[in-house]
Amino acid sequence: MTSTANAYIVGIYEHPTRRADGISTAQLHADVAYGALEDAGLSLRDIDGYFCGADAPGLGGFSMAEYIGLQNLRHIDTTETGGSSYILHVSHAAQAIAAGHCNVALITMADRPLASGAGPVLAGVDSAAAPENAFLPPVMVPPAFGYAMVARRHMYQFETTPEQLAWVKVAASHHAQYNPHAKLQQVMTVEDVLASPIVADPLRRADCCVVTDGGGAIIVARPEIAKQLKRPRVKLVGSGESMKHSNGGKNDIMYSAGVQSAAAAFAEAGVRPADIKYASLYDSFTITVIMQLEDIGFCPKGAGGRFAADGNLISGIGKLPFNTDGGGLCSNHPGNKGGMTKLLEAVRQCRGEAHPAVQVKNHDLVLAHGTGGLMSSKHMAGTAILAAE
Amino acid sequence: MKKKTQAAPQSFVTSETQEFWAAAQENKLLVKHCRSCGENHYYPRSRCPLCGSAQTEWLAATGKGTIYSFSIIPGARRPTATAIVDLDEGPRLSSVILDADVNQLKIGDGVTVAFEKMEGRPPAPAFTTAAAVAARAYSVGALKASKNFPDLAATVPDEVKIVAIIGAGTMGTGIATACLKSGLSVVLIDSNESALQKAESGVSSALERDVERGILQPELATAFKNSLTHAVSMESIRSADLVIEAVWEQLKLKQDIFGQIDKFARPNAVLCSNTSTLDIDEIAGATQRPQDVVGVHFFSPAHVMKLVEIIRGKTSTSKALATCIRFGETIGKVPVVVGNCYGFVGNRLMLTREREAARLLLEGALPVDIDTVLKRFGMPMGTFELQDMAGGIELNYRRRQETGEKNFLVDRLFELGRLGQKTQKGYYRYDPEKRGPIPDAEVTEIIEQASEHYGISRKPISDSEIEKRLILPMINEGAKLLDEGIVARPSDIDVVWQYGYGWPSWKGGPMYYADQIGVSSVLTDLTDLFARHGAPFEPSPLLSRMAKSGQTFSSL
Repeated sequence: MTSTANAYIVGIYEHPTRRADGISTAQLHADVAYGALEDAGLSLRDIDGYFCGADAPGLGGFSMAEYIGLQNLRHIDTTETGGSSYILHVSHAAQAIAAGHCNVALITMADRPLASGAGPVLAGVDSAAAPENAFLPPVMVPPAFGYAMVARRHMYQFETTPEQLAWVKVAASHHAQYNPHAKLQQVMTVEDVLASPIVADPLRRADCCVVTDGGGAIIVARPEIAKQLKRPRVKLVGSGESMKHSNGGKNDIMYSAGVQSAAAAFAEAGVRPADIKYASLYDSFTITVIMQLEDIGFCPKGAGGRFAADGNLISGIGKLPFNTDGGGLCSNHPGNKGGMTKLLEAVRQCRGEAHPAVQVKNHDLVLAHGTGGLMSSKHMAGTAILAAE
Repeated sequence: MKKKTQAAPQSFVTSETQEFWAAAQENKLLVKHCRSCGENHYYPRSRCPLCGSAQTEWLAATGKGTIYSFSIIPGARRPTATAIVDLDEGPRLSSVILDADVNQLKIGDGVTVAFEKMEGRPPAPAFTTAAAVAARAYSVGALKASKNFPDLAATVPDEVKIVAIIGAGTMGTGIATACLKSGLSVVLIDSNESALQKAESGVSSALERDVERGILQPELATAFKNSLTHAVSMESIRSADLVIEAVWEQLKLKQDIFGQIDKFARPNAVLCSNTSTLDIDEIAGATQRPQDVVGVHFFSPAHVMKLVEIIRGKTSTSKALATCIRFGETIGKVPVVVGNCYGFVGNRLMLTREREAARLLLEGALPVDIDTVLKRFGMPMGTFELQDMAGGIELNYRRRQETGEKNFLVDRLFELGRLGQKTQKGYYRYDPEKRGPIPDAEVTEIIEQASEHYGISRKPISDSEIEKRLILPMINEGAKLLDEGIVARPSDIDVVWQYGYGWPSWKGGPMYYADQIGVSSVLTDLTDLFARHGAPFEPSPLLSRMAKSGQTFSSL
């Protein structure tokens, strides 16, 4: 495998909107692309690699390349793994740079499920011909129920409680109060979470991420270029990706693909979970966070609930501050995909540029992790470890 | 939440899966077995996804498995849970559990496949619980048993072709519709001409709805409408083979009507009273031919609800009873023969539940708390929703006017014109734009005043306490009915509650439920409630006897 540990994240941008009425998805992609270029101090002509998911309107990245005006592309990658896509894109970009396929890679993500009325679906993803569809039950089951079943089993097997799940939201809300763009800025208590209505038993509304419009962009560049730029340097030191599915009916859903993707990233970076000072963890639901804490190795399997309830996720208090922008649970989950925003806050932390109230003191090593798809069946995990240099 | 059916996959039945879909038509689940690695997999593929071998073969699965995890879909009209199921043959799969007590699911519960018929595609895989399968099997047996009356078996019923219905209210209209739809001629009688007009248009619109839904041919609907005549004079009952009185629930009124029926009905006609509570013998006593008088208690809406309680009077002849049973069957109902007592079987249990629900209101619960518990238990409607639909506040108020008995809460609601759905407000308020009842602060206030009036300090009541205080007295009342000889067998009570009140077949009925939780546990809880809340919970002697001897209702 080509080492990815040779590329830098040099530019980031998060669209401030959470509801994009009157703005096209294409313009959102372009807005975030220009925002990241400005952050990096690069220009459009510097980009020779483009990475996007199915949310980029049109065939592959064609229409976006044309709309934005990317003239020097010699590498394109439209990997789509749901919410984890952009974490994979960073890793793929580093691989492409290491292999000499491009020098500066642009990754864009944007969608507007609220303004378009599409709701909790993934833009551009058509599963109509999936072979498993014929065997689906007679009742349409929204994705939340897959995570609800993970939660119930976790409660059954490890005595995890609704209160422990609630602590994940409480921690996110403590961070979101400092983010003026966060959709939910109100600090929540465990009681507040438990008072919200059941959405997919045992998950409550407050256990679910927000649905928002918006997006973000990242620019990955080779070391020689990164070293000429003025921003704090953030190096990708390890990455991993892994897929898990129902495997013909032999599948333990109490372990996610994060077990493998994180192990690969730690091996490449040559560090251990205990070395990580901040983690952006995918937070489609509170249970997603609990599972990842365990699978990445921040705590033993089954101890995620207690880890969260002990306040460990809260910046300034706990062992492993997470999602200090408020995450998908409180701030932003654009297009129902949280991988981009996970990376953006990890880069801010690594640069020391998070909000002072939530910035971790020692930020030499941070992690971003995403789970795309359904944790109860098919999903793809991506892990990226970033180092401040 | 929105429930949509899945979009039909593009190529549904392929050479790879055709055997699976053929078996599905017979509710049989097939999985694939791999001869190379020995593993079973699902969903089925031609090559084993575990080892890649093409040496796969179909394996007829038992269709049984256990729940690995689940999540209840909230607010689904039809009880639904999503579930991950471990099949006995090995594979773990995601599906749904339908038509079962989803609120009582536990990880590890047994489930069994129940393919769901779909339009334009083969059946979709789904599951139901082993408990629901057992309860449904019991329900089939209970229905069959309810038809078994040895003393009536030899009696040849009279043929009924013309039915006279006295009283053109909602009930009369519903009964008339049911009769017409079964090809009978109906004479509807009411002294109020405009009530007759209203009833006739009610019948017409019910028939037209069936035509619109494509379940009734237009010509047939016309023929049915033509079989309905109406009159203001009682003389018109002369032609009827069977007369049904369906006037307001008041003994004097009914006795007066029966005096007139006696005058005009042809000899040997069967004379029925659609009473819901009153003494059928007292009604029969108003005639010179009490032997021909039988109670036939329909349930609202009468053209929809299947149950008819056939109330055996002291002097009712076998012939009259057999004719009523046959008549009930002819019009597509489920007739259950019961004895004469206040409220008979269905309402005896329901009034018991209503009384306790009223006490819970005064002690601290709100209508929505109580109804939520009942719906989670499995009832299609809560008791207060049901009362709002059936005009329970008015019935309760009027029932007490003869005796002058007071009820602070119901009297206030009645005085405020809160008569239920028909006035858009009762225990709840109703918004024509919205489906279902909406809790109303005005009612909460009146309930709180009522508590104060009776000197009761309100305190929170747990859901499990509410459930026990509503359900256990029903079982207790059922046991009393058995001791009193009002019902022939415990399962008749369950048939009454399934077909008259919508107790789900996947939960059997109150007496079946008692067996499931255990008669001795019912007795223990009732004894405890009796100590804490008094007389309404005093356990029936039958329960004590059964607990002592270890009997179940199904073995009685």
